[in-house]
Amino acid sequence: MSGISRREILRAGAVGSALLAGQAIASPLGGPRMMPASMDRDVFAAALKDLRAIVGVDWVFADETSTASYKKSFIPDPLGQHIPSGAVAPASVEEVQAILKVANRYKLPLWPVSTGKNMGYGMATPASSGQMILDLKRMNKIIHVDAELGTALVEPGVTYQDMHDYLEAHNLPYWLDVPTVGPIVSMLGNTLERGVGYTPYGDHFFFQCGMEVVLADGSILKTGMGSVKDSTTWQAFKWGYGPYLDGLFTQSNFGVVTKLGMWLMPKPPAYKAFMVRHPNPEDIAAITDTIRPFRMSNLIPNGVLIMGAAYQLAMFHRRDEFWKEPGSIPDEVVKREAAKRGLGMWNTYFALYGTDEIIGAIEPIVRRAFEASGGEVMTAAEMTGNPWFEHHQTLMRGGMTLEEIGIVRWRGNGGGMVAFAPVAPAKGEEPKGQTALAKEIMGKYNFDYAPAYAVGGRELHHIIFLMFDKSDPEQEKRADACMAEMITRFGEKGWCAYRSAVSTMDLVAQQYGQTNREVNARLKQALDPNHIIAPGKQGIA
Amino acid sequence: MKVAPRRVLPAAIALGLAAMLSMTALRAAQASDAAPPRAPDTIYAKTCGYCHGHNVGPVIRGRALPAEAIEMIVRHGQGAMPAFKPTEISPAELSALAKWIAASKADSKEHGQ
Ligand SMILES: Cc1cc2nc3c(=O)[nH]c(=O)nc-3n(C[C@H](O)[C@H](O)[C@H](O)COP(=O)(O)OP(=O)(O)OC[C@H]3O[C@@H](n4cnc5c(N)ncnc54)[C@H](O)[C@@H]3O)c2cc1C
Ligand code: HEC
Repeated sequence: MSGISRREILRAGAVGSALLAGQAIASPLGGPRMMPASMDRDVFAAALKDLRAIVGVDWVFADETSTASYKKSFIPDPLGQHIPSGAVAPASVEEVQAILKVANRYKLPLWPVSTGKNMGYGMATPASSGQMILDLKRMNKIIHVDAELGTALVEPGVTYQDMHDYLEAHNLPYWLDVPTVGPIVSMLGNTLERGVGYTPYGDHFFFQCGMEVVLADGSILKTGMGSVKDSTTWQAFKWGYGPYLDGLFTQSNFGVVTKLGMWLMPKPPAYKAFMVRHPNPEDIAAITDTIRPFRMSNLIPNGVLIMGAAYQLAMFHRRDEFWKEPGSIPDEVVKREAAKRGLGMWNTYFALYGTDEIIGAIEPIVRRAFEASGGEVMTAAEMTGNPWFEHHQTLMRGGMTLEEIGIVRWRGNGGGMVAFAPVAPAKGEEPKGQTALAKEIMGKYNFDYAPAYAVGGRELHHIIFLMFDKSDPEQEKRADACMAEMITRFGEKGWCAYRSAVSTMDLVAQQYGQTNREVNARLKQALDPNHIIAPGKQGIA
Repeated sequence: MKVAPRRVLPAAIALGLAAMLSMTALRAAQASDAAPPRAPDTIYAKTCGYCHGHNVGPVIRGRALPAEAIEMIVRHGQGAMPAFKPTEISPAELSALAKWIAASKADSKEHGQ
């Protein structure tokens, strides 16, 4: 939003809106219409006509104004390489099949999204410009919730908020597991990306059970037990018979997923949230070594978060409150500002679930271990009212919040954020090494290292959110370059991302090696010979 | 929705369990294609209100913001605010929401950032 301030627009009302619209056209996203790569204008027009015949005129978006919502993204895209040509929004599986037929006929590339809120990874934007967004949000039915088994079957458009409301309305004794951005994102979309949350059901793909996939040729595959005639076990047993296929459709472009089964966690009678404060940057090693045995034995059962102080501050504050220099914010400043707010340099959030007796038995064991590692162990007794503690207490019971999106404005009103998420084994020296390397590289580019480690059973997802101001073209370029260097140099040490932004999908895929790429390419050729579904997704053409 | 740690009441749990087991599988009401538009206050509470007046975005109620600008900002996104698509908030819903926000009173429980 360079040029015109939002205040002026708001004051100017309708006139301001017109200015805004004018500016959108003047932006690099405007100019000549974005077209699918190597497709003639009249062929595109013919394809659009066929798509309109399927979904109706209201659900094909192909002009500058109506495509605007699909272009918005937080990640750097200095060269305009992730601009969709439009969007089409089906309301049923039959419409998806018909759309794929048209796409095959015209070789029209389609980028499927469920809610398209893949924030920090490209939102709804495609791996390459010109692809048309296949927006599945209108397919938003909660098809079935089994009250006895605690399973759900949902369509792509169902958000965590929708399921939360459903469980409440039907008074069902189950908890959801949410990513930190639950209210506006899709259960299906998040799970296909192999996203994470913070209850004991935090590894979403692990708790997924059965899916329905429309393949490029229009055939419908139900995975696992779903293929059995009159099956009553589709959402009860994950593995089915023969090769396990579900994994092929996660982080992939082999099909369009139209239904997904999930398991829900029985609501425990008691729940207690903990926060452990550690004072020093290098404490990450001791924290990791302390948590590992508890996660392996499941004595601490949930998706634990080890939150860096800079990340926590960025949620509710802006950088210039603390630091006005161009260089990275120094550790001393972060430490001082964190301490003022009851935060350590690292803040580890975990929870115990069960009955009071169970929690009472486990608590002293974990307390002793964390205290021996140099941490201060806090609970609601000391921390009620602290906004960070309250936030994580909400997350670890699957509650609804969007507070973490505050970090996107850390560097300025322009907003800007891209995620790099390398995996580390849960052995202290490794995350310590990753933290040092990330700090060094981000320091070189004048960005602030604001980490969160999400702890799985035996590894940590090291979530590095690179925060920049997207309204500053120079910062946008610098963020892009910093990202590339981080991915490359982490890769040289054998550390790779578990997921990636659309801007770095190919770079990360290279690190997984030639054979891996060739196997994926052969599968793609067999399942989608015209390459119409999300070409470039995870580096698969 | 906060679950306070509490003493376990075995009888209550047994009762709850019995009620659960007697429940047959629920089938969600199939939302018909023409789902009725959601009311502005519902959309505000379940989308906008998690950020606005709640640590992430500025307060937008009680400021008589022009409805056209609100619609524009929702569709385009702005800075740290994501855009919301016509499939998420329909044109009719957005138009009613923008008018509702424009005419709304401030809520003293909200605080901007
Ligand atoms: C501050 C912040 C915090 C975040 N915290 C978390 C977190 O705790 N955990 C986490 O996991 N993520 C987190 N995210 C990242 C992201 O916002 C979520 O993962 C979000 O759930 C992904 O968006 P979505 O659900 O709308 O999926 P979509 O954007 O709809 O889908 C994601 C991708 O999956 C594929 N896809 C989607 N639907 C289909 C389909 N039906 N068929 C085939 N392919 C499909 C597409 O490639 C699509 O681009 C965070 C982001 C931010 C900004
Ligand atoms: C994920 C958080 C988030 C959600 C959800 C959200 N917004 Fe925003 N919104 C923001 C942020 C952050 C800003 C400030 C952007 C800036 O600094 O330019 C903003 C700005 C605005 C503004 C301009 C206000 C001003 O004073 O500049 C309006 C109007 C607005 N949003 C309306 C809405 C409406 C209506 C909804 C619900 C449909 C909504 N927003 C949902 C985060 C959000």
